[in-house]
Amino acid sequence: MAVEVVLPALGLTVEKGTILQWLKREGDVVTKGESLYEVEADKVTTEVESPASGILKKILIPEGVEVPILTVVAVITEEKEELPEKYRTMAVEKPEKKVEPGAPKIQEPSVFLTSGPTEIKAPPAARRLAKERGVDLRAIKGSGPGGAILVKDVESFLIKGMPAGPKVLTTPTARKLAERESIPLSFIKGTGISGRVMKADVMAAKSPPKVSELKPRPPVSKYQLGQVIPMNSIRKVIAKRMAQSKFTAPHIYFYNDVDMEKLFSLREEFLTELEQVHGIRISMNDFFIKATALALLEYPLLNSKVSGEEIHIFPEINIGLAVAMEDGLVVPAIPRADQLSLVEIALYRADLVERARQAKLTIEEMERGTFTISSLAQFDITFFTAILNPPQSGILTLGKVEPKPVVMDGQVVVRKTMRQGLSVDHRIIDGAVAAAFLQSLKKKLENPYTTFVKL
Amino acid sequence: MRELTFREAVVEALDMALERDPRVFLLGEDIGYYGGLFQATQGLLQKYGEDRVMDSPISESAIIGAGIGSAIVGMRPIVEIMNIDFMPVCMDQLVNQAAKMRYMFGGKMKIPLVIRCTCGAGRGGAAHHAQATHGVFMHFPGLKIAVPGTPHDVKGLLFTAIEDENPVLFVEDKMMYNVKGEVPEGYYTVPFGKAAIRHEGEDVTVIATLRMGYRALAVAKEMEEKGIGVEVIDPRTLCPLDKETIINSFKKTGKMVIVDEGNRVGNFGSEVASIIAEEAVDYIQAPILKVTAPHVPVPYSPVLEKFYIPDEERIRQAVYRVLEYA
Amino acid sequence: MKASKSLMLEMLKKMLEVRYFEEKVVDQYARGAVPGLAHLYIGEEAVAVGACMNLTDEDYITSTHRGHGHCIAKGGELKPMMAELFGKKTGYCKGKGGSMHIAAFEKGILGAMGIVGSGGPIATGAALGIKRQKLDRVVICFFGDGASNEGATHEAMNFASLHKLPVIFVCENNLYGISVAQHRHQAIKDIAARAAGYNMPGLIVDGMDVLAVYEAVKEAVKRAKSGKGPTLIECKTYRFRGHHEGDPNLGARYRMKEEIAAWRKRCPIECLKDKLIKDKIAKQRELDEMEEDVKRRVEEAFVYAMESPFPNPEEALEDLFA
Repeated sequence: MAVEVVLPALGLTVEKGTILQWLKREGDVVTKGESLYEVEADKVTTEVESPASGILKKILIPEGVEVPILTVVAVITEEKEELPEKYRTMAVEKPEKKVEPGAPKIQEPSVFLTSGPTEIKAPPAARRLAKERGVDLRAIKGSGPGGAILVKDVESFLIKGMPAGPKVLTTPTARKLAERESIPLSFIKGTGISGRVMKADVMAAKSPPKVSELKPRPPVSKYQLGQVIPMNSIRKVIAKRMAQSKFTAPHIYFYNDVDMEKLFSLREEFLTELEQVHGIRISMNDFFIKATALALLEYPLLNSKVSGEEIHIFPEINIGLAVAMEDGLVVPAIPRADQLSLVEIALYRADLVERARQAKLTIEEMERGTFTISSLAQFDITFFTAILNPPQSGILTLGKVEPKPVVMDGQVVVRKTMRQGLSVDHRIIDGAVAAAFLQSLKKKLENPYTTFVKL
Repeated sequence: MRELTFREAVVEALDMALERDPRVFLLGEDIGYYGGLFQATQGLLQKYGEDRVMDSPISESAIIGAGIGSAIVGMRPIVEIMNIDFMPVCMDQLVNQAAKMRYMFGGKMKIPLVIRCTCGAGRGGAAHHAQATHGVFMHFPGLKIAVPGTPHDVKGLLFTAIEDENPVLFVEDKMMYNVKGEVPEGYYTVPFGKAAIRHEGEDVTVIATLRMGYRALAVAKEMEEKGIGVEVIDPRTLCPLDKETIINSFKKTGKMVIVDEGNRVGNFGSEVASIIAEEAVDYIQAPILKVTAPHVPVPYSPVLEKFYIPDEERIRQAVYRVLEYA
Repeated sequence: MKASKSLMLEMLKKMLEVRYFEEKVVDQYARGAVPGLAHLYIGEEAVAVGACMNLTDEDYITSTHRGHGHCIAKGGELKPMMAELFGKKTGYCKGKGGSMHIAAFEKGILGAMGIVGSGGPIATGAALGIKRQKLDRVVICFFGDGASNEGATHEAMNFASLHKLPVIFVCENNLYGISVAQHRHQAIKDIAARAAGYNMPGLIVDGMDVLAVYEAVKEAVKRAKSGKGPTLIECKTYRFRGHHEGDPNLGARYRMKEEIAAWRKRCPIECLKDKLIKDKIAKQRELDEMEEDVKRRVEEAFVYAMESPFPNPEEALEDLFA
């Protein structure tokens, strides 16, 4: 039986060794325990004994070669035995490298921290409460040490819908009681040390306070004259992108007045029934979204982006709807709006807007838009222009709907009218295309039955 | 109910243990004719004889080794290392042998050994006779650790320690020996791994070991009158540790102070803070504070020693500090 | 009193078991199959076997990091011993102890210890327990010349002698504490001389002569059981290989090759075999058969170990507390 001679494990830390000298030659008779060769490892020279008696049939590793431990360096066979096949062609064969278990993959933390950016000082309990109740920590002023946002600040914000007022001295018991009774601490007169609000004071406050004892209400706006507000991360991003868009894409602006009477009637007609059947109230925006999408099908150049020296027309029509938030704007997009029914658009729209307000959108929802609609219809303004939402090439603005005198069939009549605006990237969209688009959109909205009712 | 001092409770417990079980015997320096340096084994040699209450040479390794070997072959030894300061002398026998032999040898043998020792500063014992390093031994798996905080508990915990089939480090705070408390007659046990809530409250959780419990309690009573609720918890055993009671209290208050006489770094409180940060992170409302001895050896001069030992004022300051986050 | 033929053959068999077991470990360790460290008893077989021949399963021993010899001599079975070295579930310690921490409680083996000198206090403790319970048993504490300098050993001997405990301190003086020769690590030449310092008898014995060791320990056991207390027996012996496997050139870094060769000539197994043949107590064929049988059983134990499963990873958390 052939016996392998391996370079033995030479100590806890040794990994390699070099055979300095073979003490026996190929073909020699060897006995078990006899020194076979000298090996050097980690500056130490050791003699290695033969593991068996027989003939040193083949030396596989010559002198002067460094090999890892456990390498087969020679083969010993019995007297008349042939050398097994596999050793005949083995030269300096390295044994299987031990596979080191890879270092555990470190998960990159998700970029979006739904519990609020970490520059904000707030202990974990306050963060958790804010997250659970969908409160943006950036809206809360902290009253704790170093401006930390405490649990009571979040609670107070939830009760009043506005940031906690100046720090009121109180005891924890009194504070808890005040919250339970939904009485803001600033409304309670404190009779404790340094004007501290004590439990008894809260009890007394449960009965309606006299007018003269009421402290003045905090102001409505959270901004004050002379205040310096550092930009938070969202504001920084918006500022950067707006600048980038405006100074990269040459904007040209168009506007059109659209007669809304028929659209209003159509909506009236179907509103209740659709609500009963599908559980959703169709809004005017839903119609705009659908109509815009259909118009983009006809003029796909407005559903594109500039990429180096190419124009890439987006593969889908995802209409983004600008939603105003506390500190800025987000634009979630309704996907493939051209293919969705009005009800489906309405369902998407309602969900996205609700979650936008709670800061619970996914990145994908915010970045998939290919064309944007921005509406200030709830404000008493006629018209406004918008800056493109990069990398998009078109954005539609909607002003308020107001009754205006127009001439129809030679008569002056009063019709509900909306002034719509369009900004486009003039690098790739010329006036004629933009005008044609706007014209098509107007036609769709003014003939809503044809547009929206599938026969 | 009758009141005994902490010391009297220890003597009574050892007396009853020696009486009930012939396998129990004591071994330690000066525990026999002298009755123990702190008189905690007073009168026992006279009652049970030299074979059962053995005076030992000053050989800490031999003491622990004797305990280990005799426990393996069927006795139930209660050995004593006079001061926890001396534990490093016999550290190998304690943490490498007693704590590990059961595990190392595949769970085949039991070592029902109790090792009593004393800790605590306040009598000018200075660097080598006043340490409170009980927290350090939590790091060694296989060793249970009892830190009784009242005369009632020292008796009950000692009986539990003797019944336990594992090595138990039983730490007696030498400054508590004269403290009086209610101690029931007869045999009763206090379970390992079950903390005691000494005072209830909703605003701050204070964990306090050994005689720090009394100081924390005094502060709690004072705060109560001001309308602030301080919950004081005595862990009773560091291993096994009653995490459940501690975490439940913390979930209620969101604020924690740990009071332990050990030095600052690697204090028992460090482990508790780590447990909270891991298992109750969402409830943290304020920084988790440790009130400990400063990170120096125990100084000698009374003025310096007083500065060293955590007192009520430091506990009070810590409570106020976490209340700033209320 | 002369030992009987059966006793001598038994001693030879045990020494052969130790020798073949250790040789197997040499081979497997070189192939990288044994995790950790291995400290082998080759050359010292006479000490463990000669001493333990005086004990029953009810007596106790504490061992050292060089513990395979003690454990086999005390009755440790080859299969669970081999399995333990390979970290298998079927090992004496369920894979938790390994070579340096082998224990077989049911055979009175209180454990091999990785800490030099730690066995003394524990052996003393076991002897205390025996005395208190008035059991007719003894404890043998094996320790080396290196351990004789540890404080714990001194404490144990003092305590044992003071209380006249039934423990026998068997010192295996193999002339080196790891790599430091005895004359460089202690001021005395004969460790047995220290016994006087503890007021107990101290004997020097030729550790390569299994019968001499046997006789000396026999006396000590009698003394211990009659309540006269401990004895210190110093066995002059030698390990043929390095301190641990991997110690270059079998310890030739710090030992002269001539010295190693000289001691090898005094191999306790060869010496006993020669004596048995020369004194016509046994025939060559008997001895050859015995050797073949031992070889076979060691090989069986090896196969058993190879075929045994590893413990489940989660078992690492078990057996901490009773």
